[in-house]
Amino acid sequence: MRALTLHLKILITVLVALGLSITAYQIFVIGIPVTEDATDDLWNIDAKVEFVANSKDPVKIQMFVPPLNRDYVSLNESFISNNYGVSVNRVDGNRKVTWSARRVSGKQTLYYRLVLTKRYSGDKTKVKGPVFRDSIAVEGPEKIAAEALLAPIRQHSADVETFISETIKRVNNPNDDNVKLLLAGDPSTAHKAQVIELLLSIAHVPMERVHTIRLEADQPQSPELWLRSFNGNDWLYFNPESGAQGLPEDRLLWWIGDEPMVTVDGGKKANVTFSLNNSEMNAIRLAKLTDENTDANFLEYSLYGLPLQTQQTFMIMVMIPIGVLVILVLRNLIGLQTLGTFTPVLIALAFRETQLGFGIILFTVITALGLMLRSYLEHLKLQMLPRLSVVLTFVVILIAAISLFSHKLGLDRGLSVALFPMVILTMTIERLSITWEERGAGHAMKVAIGTLFAATLAYLVMSIPELVYFVFTFPAVLLVLVGFMLAMGRYRGYRLTELIRFKAFLKADS
Amino acid sequence: MFGFWKTWKALEARGIMGINRRNADYVLKYNKRSLYPIVDDKIITKERAIQAGIDVPEMYGVISTEKEIDKLDEIIGGRSDFVIKPAQGAGGDGILVIADRFEDRYRTVSGKIISHEEIEHQISSILTGLYSLGGHRDRALIEYRVTPDQIFKSISYEGVPDIRIIVLMGYPVMAMLRLPTRQSGGKANLHQGAIGVGVDLATGLTLRGTWLNNIISKHPDTTNAVDGVQLPNWDGFMKLAAGCYELCGLGYIGVDMVLDQDKGPLILELNARPGLNIQIANDCGLTLRTHAVEAHLEALAAKGIKETAEERVRFAQELFGHIHQDT
Repeated sequence: MRALTLHLKILITVLVALGLSITAYQIFVIGIPVTEDATDDLWNIDAKVEFVANSKDPVKIQMFVPPLNRDYVSLNESFISNNYGVSVNRVDGNRKVTWSARRVSGKQTLYYRLVLTKRYSGDKTKVKGPVFRDSIAVEGPEKIAAEALLAPIRQHSADVETFISETIKRVNNPNDDNVKLLLAGDPSTAHKAQVIELLLSIAHVPMERVHTIRLEADQPQSPELWLRSFNGNDWLYFNPESGAQGLPEDRLLWWIGDEPMVTVDGGKKANVTFSLNNSEMNAIRLAKLTDENTDANFLEYSLYGLPLQTQQTFMIMVMIPIGVLVILVLRNLIGLQTLGTFTPVLIALAFRETQLGFGIILFTVITALGLMLRSYLEHLKLQMLPRLSVVLTFVVILIAAISLFSHKLGLDRGLSVALFPMVILTMTIERLSITWEERGAGHAMKVAIGTLFAATLAYLVMSIPELVYFVFTFPAVLLVLVGFMLAMGRYRGYRLTELIRFKAFLKADS
Repeated sequence: MFGFWKTWKALEARGIMGINRRNADYVLKYNKRSLYPIVDDKIITKERAIQAGIDVPEMYGVISTEKEIDKLDEIIGGRSDFVIKPAQGAGGDGILVIADRFEDRYRTVSGKIISHEEIEHQISSILTGLYSLGGHRDRALIEYRVTPDQIFKSISYEGVPDIRIIVLMGYPVMAMLRLPTRQSGGKANLHQGAIGVGVDLATGLTLRGTWLNNIISKHPDTTNAVDGVQLPNWDGFMKLAAGCYELCGLGYIGVDMVLDQDKGPLILELNARPGLNIQIANDCGLTLRTHAVEAHLEALAAKGIKETAEERVRFAQELFGHIHQDT
């Protein structure tokens, strides 16, 4: 006996520890959110490439696409192009898609679609970059102007960071004669960036151009130019117009370098337009989608790996142990009397189809009418199977009638009955009527109410969305449940109702 | 909440056994599942008892198929009183007690006149499993109708009073006399409204009783005192009960016996999950007594001794008997 108890204790400990550690691993190491509410923004970016193809030449279009190596993860990427061959390759930290076709003509439209989200896990990858560069050679008046500009910049700066922002500030001062000379009447952002690069190169400060897209829904936009420099640890981003430092959260890095976004061989009038929209998504589904595009495959063996239809079934199925647990507690700890052990769980499942309030009414009405029929059949002295068949048929007719009436009355609720509750109802009627005969009406009533109460409670617990999500996402908690059930299997204490049942002893005492 | 805790502690101190403890520590521990059919099927119980030389009501016949219902007349023969029981019935359900017959009709013990067809329907219901534990097919048993000893006339309302003794590993632990009431419809089951009256294991003197979970000392129908009644042939009951361990092999059983006015103590049936109201009837918890028996068994096992039924009865009577109840 003692060995058995020890065995049981070890088993319970192992199960609970296993369940808890798997769940803890899922929560803390993998980082699966504990509640369903955690949603993430999901961005859908369409880049539309339009150009006119020369009718004779083969066409080759190259376009930069986001490298997606830092803060964003692509969930889905598609290149929509009818007769074009598509290839994607990485060049110097950029990604470039190449569409090619041997013979096309007229106006061409190609789409690039990217669905992305912020990177799921928080860890940052280590970055590298250059810290020194050679000066760009300049001659004559430009050289003098540049040096004249650099002198006060040097004076007003302490390090690379302040040096760059000071440079940008100076270049954006349109009244400065030196700047005017360097800009040569072209104050476009691209040209400013060129001037800034020139100035920085003289000071041997490396600088890169980055082209970004602002993640903002339904706003027409074109890539925005930013400058960045590597300070030895991280990239520092600067706005060439305002000198503002730090890339805002909503910027997506599209490509780096001086080249234009699109180059077309064998065509002309290339033009790219962006359209963006965003949606919110359950974090776990997002993680699942992310999963397909990253190397982390932690969801591979979870229930989320199943087809959606099956997932829905399992969402109900994983809750059955919870419902059973409710019944277990009600019966063995509280001492509530129910009809059979698992009938309440089945009724609770039936409530899923009908909703609670209507379910209780339907259940009560049909059971009451069924009991009347059953007591009438009793007079006919029928054998069990024919009698059960009659009751079942009656239940079907009754449900059909209720559905018909409520439909005519415009109540959709009445239509919510499904196949499954019918057998449960029939069995309930049969067992209840036997209880009635054997133990009397009072006991039957008590049992019926107990069953209904247990079913209601089980239904309520089983339909807590947070709980459904939790158990479905962390099925290992079922092991903890089993541990508790095992412990309950050797529970020797009183049931709550026994305290009332045996209260005669206490009266005798006092 | 605090009140419940106090109740809990008080019950525990008195050794009151709850359902969970009974199931975990006694039913599951001492009763091997494979032996259940012996007690669940009254026909098997009876056959075993006859083999072991234990007194049971005489079995007239068994009906196990619809076809055999035709043989009913043959089984009954010329007898005017008999009992029809489902072999695997629970809680006294489905039992038909025929007290008399005139012409083609039968009179049940409660005075209801029923026809031969109704009896056949009852047997048919039994066969389809209406009264059996799992609802599966069953057999009907036709047996001797027990006539209760006159001693019970004043403290019982119709039906047959029976004596239940809880036996742990062959040691009688607690005894109770179950008296039918008007409410129980002549049945001796406590949950149907019968009275349970505690019995002193040593003397066979009745103690106070329990009715619907309350403590009583008078029969609600006859208003006669139920306590202080000397049950005849008490040692016979004790020996019969103690011997049932060898009969069925189950370690924790409730033995239901009757006192027939002609044949003396007879075993009616065995129960592998005896109820707990016997504690209220005896105003005493079961756990203290079962623990004493278990300790005794352990001591015996250490010495390698096995006691006979007589020795076990003596042990139980010395330890649990001679209760002085203050009124």
